[in-house]
Amino acid sequence: MLADAIAAERFRLSRDRTALFWGFGFMPLVAMLFSMAGDVFVRIVLRRGMPGETTVDLANRAMGAVAGASGPVTALFLLIGAAAIFAGDYRWETWRLITPRNSRTNLLAAKLIVFAEVAAWSLLLTAFTAVLAGLFGSVIDHGRLVAPPDGSAFPGHFAGVFVITWLEVLLIGVLAGLVGILTRSTMGAVIAGLVVVFVQSTLAATMQATTWKSLAIPAYGGRILKAFVAAPDEVRPEAGPAGLALVLLLVWLVVLACGAVALFRRQDLTKE
Amino acid sequence: MNFALEAEGLVKTYGAVRALDGLSLRIPAGGVFGVLGPNGAGKSTLFRIALGLVRPTSGTARLFGNPAGQTASLRRVGAMIETPRYPPYLTARDVLRMLAMESGATGSADIEYWLERVGLGGAADRKAGTFSVGMKQRLGLAAAFFTRPELVILDEPTSGMDPAGIQEIRALIRDLAAKEGVTIILASHQLDEVRRVCDRVAIFSKGKLAAEGDVEALTGGKPRLRLTVSPVDKALAVLGAKGEPDGQNAVLADVLRAETPALIRALVEAGVEITEARWREGDLESAYLGALEPADRKNEDLVDAR
Repeated sequence: MLADAIAAERFRLSRDRTALFWGFGFMPLVAMLFSMAGDVFVRIVLRRGMPGETTVDLANRAMGAVAGASGPVTALFLLIGAAAIFAGDYRWETWRLITPRNSRTNLLAAKLIVFAEVAAWSLLLTAFTAVLAGLFGSVIDHGRLVAPPDGSAFPGHFAGVFVITWLEVLLIGVLAGLVGILTRSTMGAVIAGLVVVFVQSTLAATMQATTWKSLAIPAYGGRILKAFVAAPDEVRPEAGPAGLALVLLLVWLVVLACGAVALFRRQDLTKE
Repeated sequence: MNFALEAEGLVKTYGAVRALDGLSLRIPAGGVFGVLGPNGAGKSTLFRIALGLVRPTSGTARLFGNPAGQTASLRRVGAMIETPRYPPYLTARDVLRMLAMESGATGSADIEYWLERVGLGGAADRKAGTFSVGMKQRLGLAAAFFTRPELVILDEPTSGMDPAGIQEIRALIRDLAAKEGVTIILASHQLDEVRRVCDRVAIFSKGKLAAEGDVEALTGGKPRLRLTVSPVDKALAVLGAKGEPDGQNAVLADVLRAETPALIRALVEAGVEITEARWREGDLESAYLGALEPADRKNEDLVDAR
């Protein structure tokens, strides 16, 4: 039953090319193009090169791009994708077509799972386009490709940063889902979600001390967590705050997802 | 007797509006059941409750004996509620593929057959967002039928269709009910459609059941021959128990179509002049308006009393 709902949701999103492109493909691609254009501008238009030997660490470049993929600008586009998935049925008035065919819990769970899936692909695309941009830059600047300094530990660091960013992105998606169900509007999901993302990013930027309150702000908690998992062993910060940040991030996810499911299960679908 | 849909004391309120006001109704399995009523009578609300789209304020609704809204019961049901809408980026074929997946019926649903059957074979790969209202209705019908449900709920299925399309869909509904044993609940504002297609009818008024019964019983039985004649009393004498006056210069004859030539011959031989003879079909409109009248009159009385 859940598998049926996931298959249907995945099929449907695969046909919604506008939402796929703007929600999950645009930012990685535009970031790559900006990076390439910047390299071209510096090298060809300004006719300047980097003094000394230039090195390009593609692995860390990919990890940095992934770590930054939960920022407010990327969030705007993720919210567009999430709103299309979670609130599209209100916009197109299609709940009446779908709801009698599967349980409401399955329908919403399928949307959450498909969003999680496509968000992971988007992060992988971010890493891939960062590598492409790095390769392009190395050619333009005649840079030498180098391995990451942390060597064999890098895959673990990358996986950690990837998972933390993915959880942050999921939180943005689940928030859009909850607001979309509450407002029955794709626009509502995007705008309300964006306000929350900007507010928490601003708050996180002003935080000085690491307390349970600051860690409860997902953007700050995510930053602490990424710093923890990506740091070399010898300078790794304490595990306590990072652990608490992870727990709080998961609590946020579970609370918002359960809230969305509970709300949707009780919602009257009169005129979607 | 098996019931496809049962409602008992159903109440649904939207703020101050009482969409259903203690509605009780049992729709038997098999045949075509018509639901009539003016706008706001509660037809769509009943269907939405049955399909689990809306929760009743009080009362119960059951599909095939199980509480309405349960997925297991709903998978035995196909429905088209109001004007169907689709994600505009999906083609007609994609809409049915997505719905088949959602229903867990990818193996059994015959998408190509149903697209052809509702006349959308040539538009199967067109985006649903470009469809006319009539084409959307056709796709909605395919979506309601293509998983081979035991019960199909159709809310205004022919609105927006051309006359030829309406004929096709009526034939399809009768065919499915007669040959495949599908129970069909049909809500319509077109009384003629209901009279032609349905076996039984329920008339809703202000969220309540105003009347229910066989179409023939509600419309006053089988068709009768109306004769404009002179003199009327001589014609009534020939007709005997089978005749009754209908106005000053006409009579209604309760005879079979095969008996018509003999009756006209007998009337002419008795010296009755016949200026017009035509069959009067069962009059559902009168039954419909009659069923609605008491509720409306009650309200007028209340207003007058104030």
